[in-house]
This record gives sequence, structure tokens and C-alpha cells, in this order.
Amino acid sequence: MRRGLPLLLVALTLTAMSPDGATGQQPPILSGPLAKLDIKPAQIEARATPKGTLTVAMHFALDPGWLDPLEHSYAVTMQMYDYLVHDAMIKPMPHAWVSYGLAEHAEMAADFRRAAFRLRPGLKFHDGQPLTTADVKWTYENFKGAYAKVFQDKLEHVQVIDDRTIVFHFKEPFIDFMDLYNGGVSGIGWIVPRHYYEKVGRDGFKARPIGAGPYRLVSQQAGAQMVFEAFDGYWRRTPATRTIVVKGIRDPATRMAGLQTGELDLAFGMTGKLLPRLMSDRTLRWDPNFTGPWWLMFPGYSEPGSPFRDKRVRQAVSLAINRPFLVKQETQDISKPWGNWISPENRDALQGQDAPVPEYNVEKAKQLMTQAGFPDGFEVEYLPFPPYFDMGERILTDLRAIGIRGKLQSLEGPAFRAKIGQGRKGVPGHRTIVQNIDPRAGGSKSNIAVYAVCGSPASFVCEPQIEALWTKHQASLDQAERERLVKSIQRIVLDEHYFVPLYLNSFVHGIGPRVLPEGKGVGKYWDTLNAPYPWPWEVWEVKADR
Amino acid sequence: MKRYVLVRALYSVVTLWLLVTIIFGLVRLTGDPVAMKAEAGADPAYVAQLRHSWGLDQPLHRQYLGFVSRLLRGDFGHSFEKSLPVRDIYFERLPNSLKLGFAAFLFSLALGVPFGMLSALKVNSWWDSAGKMVALLGLSMPGFFVGLVLIIIFGIQLGWLPVLGKGPSAVVLGEPSTWITFWFRDWAHLVMPAFALGWYFSGAMLRITRSGMLDVLGSDYIKLVRLKGVPESVVVAKHALKNSLIPVLTFAGLNLLVMVNVAIVIEVIFNWPGVGQLLYDALSNRDFPMVQGVVLMSGLLIVVLNFTIDVLYGYVDPRIRLSR
Repeated sequence: MRRGLPLLLVALTLTAMSPDGATGQQPPILSGPLAKLDIKPAQIEARATPKGTLTVAMHFALDPGWLDPLEHSYAVTMQMYDYLVHDAMIKPMPHAWVSYGLAEHAEMAADFRRAAFRLRPGLKFHDGQPLTTADVKWTYENFKGAYAKVFQDKLEHVQVIDDRTIVFHFKEPFIDFMDLYNGGVSGIGWIVPRHYYEKVGRDGFKARPIGAGPYRLVSQQAGAQMVFEAFDGYWRRTPATRTIVVKGIRDPATRMAGLQTGELDLAFGMTGKLLPRLMSDRTLRWDPNFTGPWWLMFPGYSEPGSPFRDKRVRQAVSLAINRPFLVKQETQDISKPWGNWISPENRDALQGQDAPVPEYNVEKAKQLMTQAGFPDGFEVEYLPFPPYFDMGERILTDLRAIGIRGKLQSLEGPAFRAKIGQGRKGVPGHRTIVQNIDPRAGGSKSNIAVYAVCGSPASFVCEPQIEALWTKHQASLDQAERERLVKSIQRIVLDEHYFVPLYLNSFVHGIGPRVLPEGKGVGKYWDTLNAPYPWPWEVWEVKADR
Repeated sequence: MKRYVLVRALYSVVTLWLLVTIIFGLVRLTGDPVAMKAEAGADPAYVAQLRHSWGLDQPLHRQYLGFVSRLLRGDFGHSFEKSLPVRDIYFERLPNSLKLGFAAFLFSLALGVPFGMLSALKVNSWWDSAGKMVALLGLSMPGFFVGLVLIIIFGIQLGWLPVLGKGPSAVVLGEPSTWITFWFRDWAHLVMPAFALGWYFSGAMLRITRSGMLDVLGSDYIKLVRLKGVPESVVVAKHALKNSLIPVLTFAGLNLLVMVNVAIVIEVIFNWPGVGQLLYDALSNRDFPMVQGVVLMSGLLIVVLNFTIDVLYGYVDPRIRLSR
């Protein structure tokens, strides 16, 4: 009987997947040759009765604007609410970086000038109205968030074939379309109900949004709390938890107290000084939640007179940092020393033997400093990523060992972000080290596009060698070639020490005793790639309310 | 009297205009709010669109004129961070702050006034020393410290009281029944934040009550009443207390406004969704319209209160209105 159980489960899973249609043969939409797409079938799961309340603490105030995909900014936080209230045509899920969502089938013409989708049958918004391709078209045409201009500039027209079939025609090859249309990267693929949006308007939608996602918003107090109830008409499965309450709690000590008193079941951002307390509390659990690597940048390295103009000095900085010690001090040994500045979960990121953890060798670093003409070191300004000022101090202590004496400039979040957003121009002078982290999704190319090419507003590296490769990448319609080029650029950035990777950050989340399953099994909620938060929410299970 | 009221009203208007102008200028010195929304490498078109939709692409004087003209129509603008009208968000939060402020106010009165009286009546006794100690602790132990200690003892160790937020009851604008239930439900949530907030003010209240009471008790008319053989309890309750409470009540009124409007630290520690936390979030995120709105509403309350007090003073004491 025991041996038979797994076979039965497999059979049930396969049976459950077939109505999705994605496992079966789909009739084609486009004529002509097609590009190869790697979109995995959705996993339709068994329906059950939702129970219990999951109370979640965000680490900052809640923004009702997050509930409106049409104004989706670059912030990954928004996706947490997309995954609650809305649903995307294609999106990251635990089993795949790109999984079918509302769409059950997609095609891309081999020349990347047309993209087609077929919606799965019977989709409904929370108000019971059907979700059709008219909503998909309207969402695309009214999207105003991040990358909106790219989407609008490339679009020639949208062809609605029927209620379930839609084709986007582009003016020129749009090879990045499927990457950008992915719900993990932008908001344009999260479908908004046209009839309702037009009726209630922008403000009305933010206050009382409806979507086609697993949860519907039942109440909110702007900035403080949002309450969501399970939507039993969700196509993939009935959510396991009946109510999800999200609270905005800035103070980490308050979040910790909430976990300890049982008022919270899940709290984000439990790193820093509270981490030992969380780890030592036997009633609580935690997930390491690796996001992206920390790295150092030298904004003025290319300017005359900058000590960082010399590769040996940049390498000396890397050699002087004791990464294992830093990891122990900052994250109780949870994080991992890392050899790349791009998250390993981002496609095409160099990792493992391709990007080994840089060695810690103070003697060698001193020799390099002497060879570069700085035997007595020099003074620098150090810009830590707020509020990680302690970490900045620790790095400066390491650098002091090779004569680099730093002055820490503590900036507030907005001021720091404003500087970083301007790239090298935002950090004038040629003796500054900037500490940064950016767990953005969209493949390694998105990290390169932002930080390592001349044309980006936030460029910190502008090198002819990289530009040549990047230009080639942008012109190429060959995915394999693009991957090779992206890796080559990373190789240059690392070999030349333009960026110095530190460690893969863990943005620890605390979990209360009411969350199921008991024990370490809760780690499954963090399986979605490139997800700083544990979505999808419909799979979360808690004990029934008392 | 009419002229006096008009002059005071004019002063109030000028004060509000100054406040409007200063807060408009100050928030704009704190940095670029667009940086909070648009991450590094954001498409310049998106950044420009954001700046345009927030009106930040206009010259400063245009922004100012637009801001003032909207204010005159009762429109505080849209929050950058919370994407909804500032007025709606503020009035959604205000009842929570009023509830916390009133509870803390009552606590500070309940502790400060009786202890202050007792200290004055039993001057230089054990009671007086105890009162001085309470006042000292009240003034020297910051509210956040008291709050954290309360959380550890009554929230985490004993598990008697909740530590987060205000509880589920809320004021719903279209449902008047909720306005009443809101005040009388979820008291367990209120106990610790009200104590932590009222604690500081109770110390100050105690000191003022004590000194006011001592002044009155030493005055000639009290001596006369005592000489008449009136019982001490009547002297205190009927003659001394009434007069000694005048400065206490003036001070308490201002304290109440402070507790309602700027209980930032306590609201953050207890995650109390009030106006103080709103202001803190807005400042942290460079949410100009929200900062302007909250500061102006707080300023308006203070100006209105001061105006009312001025008018009442003028009404009660003719010397005041004649001297202006």
C-alpha cells in the first residue's frame, strides 16, 4: 500500500494537470517558424477548504498603489500584492522561472515580431465577470509603470482573435518581450479588469481593487493594514489559508515582539541585531531567504588621479576583505561568501567554479598596494547601503589593514538611492567606495544593463570592451549567443575587479508556530526563484483559528 | 471685543500661512522623492513620467501656487507613497490618534493630578518624596523605554496584553454606529501604548499640579477660609483645587494636542496606526504631500486651540483685550 501511494499521487497529479491543457498538444496560433520558449505548464492542485488566518508583517508602510499593476514600479515589493490579488499571463512559480498563469499557451515568432497567447478557459475576476483578451489588451495599452515606454514604442498593434486568443505585433524584433512580460519583471502581464477599473478610476481601484488572483482585498487602512480573503474561484487551486492580514511594521523589535506573542505568523526583514534572538527562540523558525550578493563599486575609478584606476588597487581591496568573518558578524554565518555581484538565481549568472569566492590574503593585498605606488595607503570616502552601517564599519576595518583609511558617510535610504540612481555622476570624486546590493530579476543582462554599460543612468562601469560585447548582445537574435555575451561581460567585470563581490545576502524571514507544516518543511514557501518574498500565497497553510 | 477677535483671527491666518510656506520649503530640502520609487537604472521616460504626475517637473513657484490654491479648496493632494488623497488617509488615521491621545491624556491626569495634590498637601513628607520620585521618573524615562519594558513584561513574558496595533475595530465613515463602538472596544490594545505615552506627561502634570496647589494653599484667601474654621477637606476640594487647576488645564489641553499629533515613537513601537506613524513614514519616504498635510492639520489644530483660548481669555479678563 505504501509503495502504491506515490504512484497514485503521480497519477492524480497528471490527471489534475491535464485540464490545464498545457500538457496536451495546443493548436498553433501563429503561422511560420517559432522561437523556442521555455515556459513550464502550470501546476493545478487539489481544491480544499481554506482555513485559518496568516498575519504577515512587512518591514515598511503599505502602499495602496501596490495593488494596481498598471502603475507597477521597479520595486519587487509590488509583486507580493500582485501574487495576492491579481494573476499574470506568465510568471515565476516554485517549479519554474517562467510558468503559465492566466495563459495556457504562448508562442513567439522566430523573428521576434509577434507574440501570441491563449488564455485558459473559464477565468473570472473576483466580481464574477469573465477575464478575456479584451482585458489583456486594455491592460497592455493602459500600463504606465516601469518599462512602459519600451512596451509602447515596440508595439505596432494588438490583434484580438477571440476571447481567449491575442497576438501582439511589434514594429521590430522584440527579443526581450517574454522576459519583460513575465510577471516577475514588470506589471504589464498582471491583468486588470477593464470594466471595473474604468468604473472606479485610479484611486478607487487602489482603495478597492479586484483581480483574478487567489485572494480578494476585503479592507485596508492605507499604510497600516490590508486584509485579504481567499477567492474560491481561483483557477489553480483554492487557497489553503482563509484570511491573510498584512501589516506594515517598520520597527524590527516590534516585529520580533509580534512573532513572540503570536500576533504575527510571518515577519520579513529579521536580520541585524535581532537575528540571534530569533534563532535562539525555540518556538520560532526562520528562512535564510537568499536574495542577492553585496558588492563594492569604485565610482571614480576611471578618472585621472584615482587610486582605483589601477586594477591592482581594486584587487587589493578584494583581497583585504575577510568574507567568512563578515558573514559571521553580519548574519550569524547564514549568508555565503560569494564570487559574483549578480544573484545566482538570475539566469546566466556566473557562479561556482566560474565565479569562485575571492581569496582573503592581506599580505598579497599589501604587495599589490606597494606595486601600485600606495605602500602607505590612502584615504577614501565609504558609502554604505543604508541602514547597513555596521557592515560598512567592518569592511573599513578590513581595509585599514592594507592602509586604506575610510570615512563612513551615513546617508538615509532616499539620499543613497538618489545617488546610486545617477551612477558615477551621483558620486563625484575619485576616491569613493560604494557598497550596494540589487536582487533584481530579469536575467543577468538586466544587472549589466543597469550598472555596467555606458548608456545606463546608473552606470558605474563604462569600458569599450564591455560596450562592444553589449552592442553585439543587443543586436543578436540568437539566445545562445546572448547568453555567451552576458557571461563574457560578467567575466570582464570580475576579472578586472570593477566590482568586488562580498557575500550572498540572506534577508531572513521569521516564522511563527501556527504556520504549517511543522518544523523545517516551511522552507518550501521560499522556493520561487528571484523572489524576495514567499509567493505564491495560495499554498500557505496555517493552523485553524482558535 | 470684536476688534480683538478680528486681530487674533488675523494672527491665526498669518501663522497658518507661514506654516504652509515653511513646510512647503522644508520638505523640498530633504531630497528627491522620485528616487524612492524609481530604482537604479530606471528608464528615464518612467522617471520623467513619475516626476510629471507628481507635479515635480514644474518650477518651484508654480508648485507652491498650485499647493496653496488646492489647500484653499480643502485638497491636500495625493500621497506619493500611498497613492491616495492625503485628506482621506489623514482622516482615516485621526480617530486612532484621538483614541490613543485621549486615553494617554486621561492616564496622565489620573496619575498626575492626585499625586500632585497629595505632594502639595503633605509637603516635605514621605508622600511628597514619592511624588517627586514619580515626577522624576516620568520626565526622565523616555516613552519608548517604558513602552519596550511593558512589551517585554506584559506582552512577551506574561502574555496578558497584545503588543501590535489597535485591534480590529475601526471608524467607518459611512457607518455612524462604528464611531461609538470604536471607542469602547479593543481596550487591551490600548493599555500599554496609552500608559507609555501618558507616563511622561503625568510627571509634568504632577509637578504643575503640585506647584499650583502650593501657590494657592499659601494665598491669603485660603488662609482666611481656614481662619473661618472651614474643614480642611472643604478648603482643599472647594477653594484650593478649583483655582490651582487653571494652569493645569491649560497645560493639559496643549498636552492633549501633542499626544494626538506627534506620538510618533510610541505609535511606531506599538505599531499604532495613528497620525504620528503616518508622519514618520511620510518623512522617511519624502512623501511631500503627506508631510505637508499632516503638519498643516496638526498646526491647524494648535492654531485653532490657541485662537479659542485667546478669545476666551479676552472674554474672561477685560484687561487682556483692552491692552491690545
